[in-house]
Amino acid sequence: MAQRSTQSSSNAALRRPCNIFDLLIHAGDTVLLRVPTGDIKSCKLEADSVINLGKFGSFPADALINQPYGLTYEVANKTINVIPPPAVEELEDTDATNELINDGQFVQPLTAAEIEALKQSGVHATEIIKKQIEMHANYSLKTEYSKDKYKKRKAAKYSKSFTTVQPTLFNVCEYWFTKDQTRILGMRIDTISQMMHLGNVRPGGRYIAVDDASGLVVSALLERLGGNGRLITICDVDSPPAYPVMTQMNFPKELTVDILSSLNWATADEIHTPIVLSAELSTGSYGSEKHKTRLSKRKSVSDALFNVREELFSGEFEGLFIASVYDPLSILGRLFPYLGGSASMVVYSPHLQVVSDLQATLRTDPQYLAPNISESWLRRYQVLPGRTHPLMTTSGGGGYLLHAIKIYDDPCAEPVAVHRRSKSAKQTAESSQSQPEDSASQVPRIANRHLSQ
Amino acid sequence: MWSTARHVAPGDLVIVWLTRDLVQSLVVTPGKAFNSRYGEYPHSDLVGIPYGSKVPSRTGRGFVHILRPTPELWTLALPHRTQILYLADIAFITSWLYIRPGAVVLEAGTGSGSFTHSIARTVGPTGHVYSYEFHEARAGKAAEEFARHGLSDIVTLAHRNVCKSGFTEADIADSVFLDLPAPWEAIGHSKAALRKDRLTRICCFSPCIEQVLRTVSALNDAGFTDITMYETLLRPHEVIQAPRLATVGTVAEKLKRQERNREDKRQRQIAASRARRDATEKRKREDQDVVDPDPDGHELELKKMKTTAQCDDEAYAPDVTMGTDEEVLEDQPSAVTVAADDTTLAMPLPESAPEIQVLSRHSKEVRGHTSFLTFACLLPAVRS
Repeated sequence: MAQRSTQSSSNAALRRPCNIFDLLIHAGDTVLLRVPTGDIKSCKLEADSVINLGKFGSFPADALINQPYGLTYEVANKTINVIPPPAVEELEDTDATNELINDGQFVQPLTAAEIEALKQSGVHATEIIKKQIEMHANYSLKTEYSKDKYKKRKAAKYSKSFTTVQPTLFNVCEYWFTKDQTRILGMRIDTISQMMHLGNVRPGGRYIAVDDASGLVVSALLERLGGNGRLITICDVDSPPAYPVMTQMNFPKELTVDILSSLNWATADEIHTPIVLSAELSTGSYGSEKHKTRLSKRKSVSDALFNVREELFSGEFEGLFIASVYDPLSILGRLFPYLGGSASMVVYSPHLQVVSDLQATLRTDPQYLAPNISESWLRRYQVLPGRTHPLMTTSGGGGYLLHAIKIYDDPCAEPVAVHRRSKSAKQTAESSQSQPEDSASQVPRIANRHLSQ
Repeated sequence: MWSTARHVAPGDLVIVWLTRDLVQSLVVTPGKAFNSRYGEYPHSDLVGIPYGSKVPSRTGRGFVHILRPTPELWTLALPHRTQILYLADIAFITSWLYIRPGAVVLEAGTGSGSFTHSIARTVGPTGHVYSYEFHEARAGKAAEEFARHGLSDIVTLAHRNVCKSGFTEADIADSVFLDLPAPWEAIGHSKAALRKDRLTRICCFSPCIEQVLRTVSALNDAGFTDITMYETLLRPHEVIQAPRLATVGTVAEKLKRQERNREDKRQRQIAASRARRDATEKRKREDQDVVDPDPDGHELELKKMKTTAQCDDEAYAPDVTMGTDEEVLEDQPSAVTVAADDTTLAMPLPESAPEIQVLSRHSKEVRGHTSFLTFACLLPAVRS
């Protein structure tokens, strides 16, 4: 590639990619709305409907349709207007301290009833806050930081506004992590992101997933496939699995149709022949037009099932992603044969023991290269001017991952002898302690029902 | 990008995995050979084998694994021109910046190209990466590398100091990633490069907190919102198999046996000395009629006890006479060979057949800090 020191914008415009993610809000979408308290609400936007945010007001859904994400709106008179986001201000240090401020002191003569009356009369939130500050006995004693906190707390209480949150994997994962961690098996955004990278997810790739995390893994894979590639999931239910996390992702159908197919543990079993309703005519002629449609529907359903089975069994998938409530070794035993050489396997668990036990078993099998365990660690900071510090409360953990690479083993391969540490080789000694992956090659392999070679 | 074929072909870039700590890359060139302390491998031996094969050395000892390159494996194998970004950071940044197929991403600087490879993979052929590097030699090397890796259609590289000259593109990027010594100098230019019809994002990667503070201030001034900062790490765990921990009950039993043995020994010694004294006295009485200065033999006994106490350590004083001693010896803490590379976790064997358990712990020395990741959003322009 020629090095370009200058690049004209017109040239760039030509290659501007067509984006399958159009990034606008559509009728029928389930949008995430962040309210002033910081909570995120999930709302289904039907055309001509009214969205009710409780104390934060209500407004017609149509007002959001075809809007880009990220804007903040104020709700007033049953309609919404875009407002600028709150500005971050530098605060001046003063001599104020809390030396003379005592807890439980009577400082606010404005009663709850009076505030309620103000709210009812339609007075703007800023006016109520201003009034509260005026009446507050000790407000002037507060530090500037404390004043800022007070104003923000009151604003969260009274202001009728919300911000639309873009349905990115990051935001949707955070929404579910806060709302109901157990349903996504405690998988945090840093962990699911690492899974996508360890598994080399790319547009056009072919992957298998076992997702008992409400579809978080499936959502991540579909976002990274971008409407190009293949994803087969194996689930534990009879009917196509419900992946509730996909609801907030609002994938256009180009991102899912012909990309995602599902089997269950019975239909994904090679030695089992699924029982399907017959699509053959038993009498020689269709009883009615309805009968004909029913039979052709049956046929397409069973054809689809057998095609997906065939596709799975023909193998050569590039990666396997597991976030399951079932024994990961039993899952690997079944799906390992369908992976191509050099494919990645990524197993998630909220429990270290599960992946540790798995690693202890896998490392005795030379078909699994370098099974590795990692724990993800994440710390978020507040970065307000003059007030930079890590957040005071945070999640206890983001889960554990095991990663390994599929190898076509050659049982004749002999490891080199253990290298002794010599003075001259000190620099490289770290890596010269023979070939550890092979030390266990004598140990019997895991019983795979299907041997890959 | 890289070959997606099942088999290795001449000209393919392959990853040669020797050990966990030794991962290299090579371009398969028949006629050449790959030699290392893990054996000799003529490239021609690699042609036609499936990716993911374990390949034995021609010498009969040693083997390598031939893997399909991925940005993650490339990160392990790549020639370091600068400090590189690692998996945990790259993965997190990609998600926060909403880098996805079809996205347009601007990156400065290119450095060793670790991040570039990763996001080029993720944006794919429908997206684009504009990468800027102010160091001329590094830019040249990176450009060659991207061309060799088939990234020319996805990555556009420019030798350019974006802090001074800005980006070559305007109103085009979905996200900007700045890995620069002074990212605050490029914030204004970044704003110009970001598209204005949608929500866009920026990430600044800085190791020092002072850099973060200046960056945050510049982001605030330029009108970015939702400014936040993260640190993320990947903490590796080591798994070992070791016998289940013995209970203190077994230790108590052992100590009690030792105590009993010691007492038995003392009693035997007393008995022996008494017998000896009796014999002597008998002899003395027989020989001559003299008065014994210590008629009960206390002195001798005390002396004996002192010696016993001195060498009562089992290591010095194995009691040859006692039948229980074998048990005592079995109870000795014995170092058990475990998969771990040290002996700190060596366990005493419990009395019955040791039950093996799987244990894991954090690796001893790990990466404790990479950089602070400062993020911000730029809101779409409001349409009337």
